[in-house]
Amino acid sequence: MTNFIDYFLGGISSGVIIALMALALVLVWRSTRVVNFAQLAQAMFTTFIALTVRDLTGSWLLALAAALASGLVLGVIVHFLVIRPVKRMDTSGAIIATFGVLIALEAFAGMIWGGDGKAFPPPIRNTGFEIGGRVWPFSPYDLLVVVTVIILVLALTIVFTRTSVGLAMRASAFNPEVARLSGVRVSRMLVLGWAIAGFVGAVAGVLVAPLTTLSPTAFDVFLVFAFTAAVIGGLDSLVGAVAFGIGTGLVISLVSGYTDSSNAPVVALVLLVVNLLFKPEGVFTHHKARTV
Amino acid sequence: MLTIEDLSVSYGAVQALKGVSLEVPPGRVTAVIGANGAGKSTLMRTLAGLEKPQSGRVTFNDEDITGRKPEDVVRLGIALVPEGRSTIPDLTVEENLKLGGMWRTHAQRNTSLTRAYTLFPVLGERRSLGADTLSGGERQQLAIGRALMTGPQVLLLDEPSLGLAPLIVTQILELVGTMAKDSGLAVLLVEQNATTALRVAKTGIVLNLGEIVKSGPAQEIAQDEELRHAYLGY
Repeated sequence: MTNFIDYFLGGISSGVIIALMALALVLVWRSTRVVNFAQLAQAMFTTFIALTVRDLTGSWLLALAAALASGLVLGVIVHFLVIRPVKRMDTSGAIIATFGVLIALEAFAGMIWGGDGKAFPPPIRNTGFEIGGRVWPFSPYDLLVVVTVIILVLALTIVFTRTSVGLAMRASAFNPEVARLSGVRVSRMLVLGWAIAGFVGAVAGVLVAPLTTLSPTAFDVFLVFAFTAAVIGGLDSLVGAVAFGIGTGLVISLVSGYTDSSNAPVVALVLLVVNLLFKPEGVFTHHKARTV
Repeated sequence: MLTIEDLSVSYGAVQALKGVSLEVPPGRVTAVIGANGAGKSTLMRTLAGLEKPQSGRVTFNDEDITGRKPEDVVRLGIALVPEGRSTIPDLTVEENLKLGGMWRTHAQRNTSLTRAYTLFPVLGERRSLGADTLSGGERQQLAIGRALMTGPQVLLLDEPSLGLAPLIVTQILELVGTMAKDSGLAVLLVEQNATTALRVAKTGIVLNLGEIVKSGPAQEIAQDEELRHAYLGY
């Protein structure tokens, strides 16, 4: 039983980070109907930028600011440079193009920062809290991660449900034609979707880096987890992405704890397949089934 | 107010509109009637900026607006209610309304919102419900309400009667007719249901295979039996 509690606690912080990554995928999907397979490569790149800034200035806050700003900018750049021109031809081309961006970003990162794993030190202590004479696998840093994610998700929820821009973005996602006829500049909303996704991905990258080592391919495995969470959540649903992101994190932690961490991606893929077989439209979605 | 000169639109090899010219004056309803495939929706979509014309000119208050984007056309004051009760079911009733005219000032939008709820009281009662809970007639009111939220001078109504009970159609169209008269709104109404459309309209225009075959006072057109047999099929 103590094992279970330990694995459960250990899964929370990675769960909320996967939730953010899934959220980034959903934001892009909702704005352009493209799954951005380069989302986490973008996050890896901006996290390297953050690490460089941190090494140069010694300031973790400046590093975070650099990651967030470059996340926004990189999202916009990828949208204008790759997605917009390719998407004029067809959607599947745009999805394949995101794989191209993934490979290119990993190659660039390798050229600039090298291929070896680098440590990204946490801003606060990352050893477990000691309660009742026992060290629990939940640290002050984990707490920081959870709080940050909660604040970010709440902020996004407010933007989407309580502001005009949020309404315009949702309308552009649900029905671009009606949105345009209402006077919404839909193409700007798409750019904004990519920018916000880049921002959210950048936060996820900076948060996850201290829990692993940073290398050009370090986040590839998280792409599997985030994609699984986003698809099971329905790809359209922000709530679904968050709920299943956390769920995926917990499942992975339990699987890694009881068996071996190398089994985690396999389990994620099994979950994905089961979902696609029995509820292909996702759990949190209003729409009729996507067929496999 | 809105002038259309020699407008031609084609989809690939199919020519949907062939040199259509007409005027949409303020303060009244102008009805375009015709069978399925006559080019009525194409006309509306082109005026709203959703389709690009091959040739011809659209002028609005002496400004050439041919080929403008839909989001710019609506900002100028021309609002389209597209065919098929185009509301967004995932949004609430009030969100659907608020979507219209986001570029306008807060005060203007509030006035329009109050006006929409006065015109269509049922929308006020359901403001926080999802648009998917509305009946067909209520959704059509919502679609018209959203268009009015943009503060239009010209309202383009594409086939509002589609799939609605006759009584509801009459109610909605009479409301639109009154609105035009009272507020000086120019209404271009496209309908397959000629009888109802011509009742509220001042001018009738018969479209057949992309060409105007007849135009004149609505009453005259409604009584022209030969025309009815030939182009409207009843």
